[in-house]
Amino acid sequence: MDPLTAAMKVAASGMSAQSERLRVVSENLANAQSTGRTPGSDPYRRKTITFASELDRASGVSTVDVADIARDPSAFPVEYQPGNPAADANGYVKTPNVNVLVEMADMREANRGYEANLQVIKQARDLISMTIDLMRN
Amino acid sequence: MQPVNLFDLAAQQARWLAVRQSVIAGNVANVNTPGYRGVDVKPFSAVLDDTTVTMQATQPGHFGANKASAEMAAFRQEDDSTELVPSGNSVQLEDELMKAADVRRAFDLNTAIVKAFHQMMMQTTKA
Repeated sequence: MDPLTAAMKVAASGMSAQSERLRVVSENLANAQSTGRTPGSDPYRRKTITFASELDRASGVSTVDVADIARDPSAFPVEYQPGNPAADANGYVKTPNVNVLVEMADMREANRGYEANLQVIKQARDLISMTIDLMRN
Repeated sequence: MQPVNLFDLAAQQARWLAVRQSVIAGNVANVNTPGYRGVDVKPFSAVLDDTTVTMQATQPGHFGANKASAEMAAFRQEDDSTELVPSGNSVQLEDELMKAADVRRAFDLNTAIVKAFHQMMMQTTKA
């Protein structure tokens, strides 16, 4: 495979991995206040995503793919809200283990990775058009 | 056209630059992959040193056949002096973008030279 086409393919795999990560971040942010419904039940558990590099056998370059979307096993913080329907006998409600600041940092990092991949695609396209321009006068 | 070596040289450098661009793309795509170590290609001068005048072969696998493309694909693990993040990833996004800018500049120069040379040849044929 032509190396420049391979470069675009790799960058596209990076973009899809980063957008998957952005999807997980948005799920976490949307559910940052999702408590359980019945007294004492568990609230939303934060999702985590990991990437793994894969060797693309057709072109011999390493693409990236989502390895796993797992759940964050950390403990749920509790809040004293006796009026909440999810409150237990002592009036405490388990809230999701989502830290909005961490999610924001994750979002910015995904954004940065996506932009870098986009830049690589743009440049590979420019290199191809430079080569095609050789045929023009 | 044997005496004019320039086109061959320029094509070889363009191939090397394209391979380097795809390697940079691999590094950028894996910027958040745990345990991924950045790679790079051998410098062009090293690739050029390895390509000498070889015997003509009827099969690519024969003794003394041209092995330039295989040499170019040989990736070099980057040295361990680059700082590592806790996930064990050694890719520095800024360095990769600098390398990409380098590739772009070299490719621009390369195509400009080929174009100029081509125009010179056309001038002689048209005159």
